[in-house]
Amino acid sequence: MTTVDQAGSWPAGARAAAGDAVTDVATDVVGDAAPAVPGEGATPGTRGRRPSRLLGIRTEVPASWRIGFGVIGVLAILALWFWSSQGDSALIATPSESWSAFTQMVGDGTFQTDLWASAQRVLIGYGISMVIGIVLGIATGTFAAVDAFFEPMIGFLRYIPAPALIPLFLLLLGIDESPKIWLIVVGTAFYNVLMTADVARAVPREMINASYTLGAGRWRILRRVILPHSVPGIIDVARINLAAAWSMLVVAELLAAQSGLGYQLIRSQRFRAIDAMFAILIAFGVIGLLSDVLLRQVRNRVAPWSRP
Amino acid sequence: MVPPVSATGTDPTPTLADVLRPGTPKLVVDDVTKVFAGRKQTTTALEHVDLHVDQGELVCLLGASGCGKSTLLSIVAGLETATEGMVTVDGDRVVGPGADRGMVFQAYSLFPWKSVARNIAFGLETAGWPKARRQERVDELLGIMGLTTFADALPKELSGGMRQRVAIARALAPEPDMLLLDEPFGALDAETKRHMQDFLLSLWHRTGTTILMVTHDIEEAIYLSQRIYVLAARPGRVAAEIAIPFGGARGPNTKRDPRFLDLRDELADLLAT
Ligand SMILES: Nc1ncnc2c1ncn2[C@@H]1O[C@H](COP(=O)(O)OP(=O)(O)OP(=O)(O)O)[C@@H](O)[C@H]1O
Ligand SMILES: [Mg+2]
Repeated sequence: MTTVDQAGSWPAGARAAAGDAVTDVATDVVGDAAPAVPGEGATPGTRGRRPSRLLGIRTEVPASWRIGFGVIGVLAILALWFWSSQGDSALIATPSESWSAFTQMVGDGTFQTDLWASAQRVLIGYGISMVIGIVLGIATGTFAAVDAFFEPMIGFLRYIPAPALIPLFLLLLGIDESPKIWLIVVGTAFYNVLMTADVARAVPREMINASYTLGAGRWRILRRVILPHSVPGIIDVARINLAAAWSMLVVAELLAAQSGLGYQLIRSQRFRAIDAMFAILIAFGVIGLLSDVLLRQVRNRVAPWSRP
Repeated sequence: MVPPVSATGTDPTPTLADVLRPGTPKLVVDDVTKVFAGRKQTTTALEHVDLHVDQGELVCLLGASGCGKSTLLSIVAGLETATEGMVTVDGDRVVGPGADRGMVFQAYSLFPWKSVARNIAFGLETAGWPKARRQERVDELLGIMGLTTFADALPKELSGGMRQRVAIARALAPEPDMLLLDEPFGALDAETKRHMQDFLLSLWHRTGTTILMVTHDIEEAIYLSQRIYVLAARPGRVAAEIAIPFGGARGPNTKRDPRFLDLRDELADLLAT
């Protein structure tokens, strides 16, 4: 409404206020009155601020630019790496050294073994964490009583740094697989719960009310409305917190493990195999990137309705 | 027993709605007060509201924004509880929502992940209709709503008017005793709105469903309803009850009827005060 108002009254007011200045310039050109009438001699100017092509707030840039920027970003970090590996210091492996270390690890099969050992832990631990996150998160986001029960508890627990539990876990659970898996669970479950609760809270009230007036009971609404509506959000939560799961895994493997990529890292450090260390670090990034892309695909496949 | 046909029966062929209309109150709102206790202030959204809707009647609640129309409809639906007073349907006290009172909401409340057909079928699934009957009912409603070719479309692929038709079809599907409509055409353009109004009227004639509809559009209220309750704001209360003398027959001429114009002025005055 204000735009209509402005369109109607602004030009007149602005013209009156700026009248002198306008006539000064315009008379030179036309040599007569009626300077502000558009299309009558006076060269039309421009109105408004031209939007920035490159850094417009929340405006898309062309797809080719997007790809270009992405490539530049990757090249920049590679260049930085390459440049810093050129110095005297032997502590930074060059890209080519890292690549050959990688191919060697793949060649003798250690990479696959360690990757599988780590992935297994993440899959189990993060799987458990997601189940906890979905069940408790949906319940927390749906029922105020459950929310009241968990809120202070989780608020307290999630500030205990998960790695601080490793000594306890090692005592309680031994040094085989379970302490690593439970560290992943503990390190990610609280965030999965809290974030899934927000996803469940985002189900519009009117959608729930509509379901009630269609005769649905609470259980039905939970299963048939809140859960399906939350699916894409839950997949996004899983995608975001997966990085934390890998962090927890590596912490556990650095401290106590006989296999896994984290264990391989600490071994490389012991043997000063800097190139292998770099290969593993980059492998982490690539694994994360791939799972991110994969989960986005899953989200779009499972919930095409939520795509913008 | 057939109740006597309404005296305003200008419609030559009495419909089910006409036959069922007089006498029996279907819905009674009895001295309802609703107070919202906020952190800083308490809002009396409704104060001592009394009204009723007869079997098969179409009644509009008319009032300015914020006068408690949606709140009242939610209380009738059982989605909100009255602070004082009560609501009865066929003499039964309303204590919560149920499939007997279908509702269409102000904003879109369709399930975005379900196709049009699956949206309409939701209430039928809840009511445990067997698949074959469900399919039949959905097809019937798709036909009535002119949505047959969009049966498999997602809500986001529909226009505003079509979405609202799906919402109405979904509410109608399980054959509720009563339909509660909260500004169902508020977000539509004039042309679509007119189309939807006629559509609602023909639907009402065909099904004889009791309808309580909220609107802030004076002409819409006169055009559609048998009676109008005008609500006044702060606190929300019934300011007037107006009977509309056109019977069940409405058409393009209704809006040119001098009585229509008089009613429009009268209601405009009532709303302005
Ligand atoms: N949940 C709530 N908490 C507090 N106040 C509320 C709540 N719901 C409604 N109100 C207040 O009650 C009053 C009536 O609201 P309501 O939504 O019923 O109005 P309305 O007549 O439907 O308005 P509109 O035509 O804009 O939809 C308003 O003053 C509103 O601020
Ligand atoms: Mg409202």
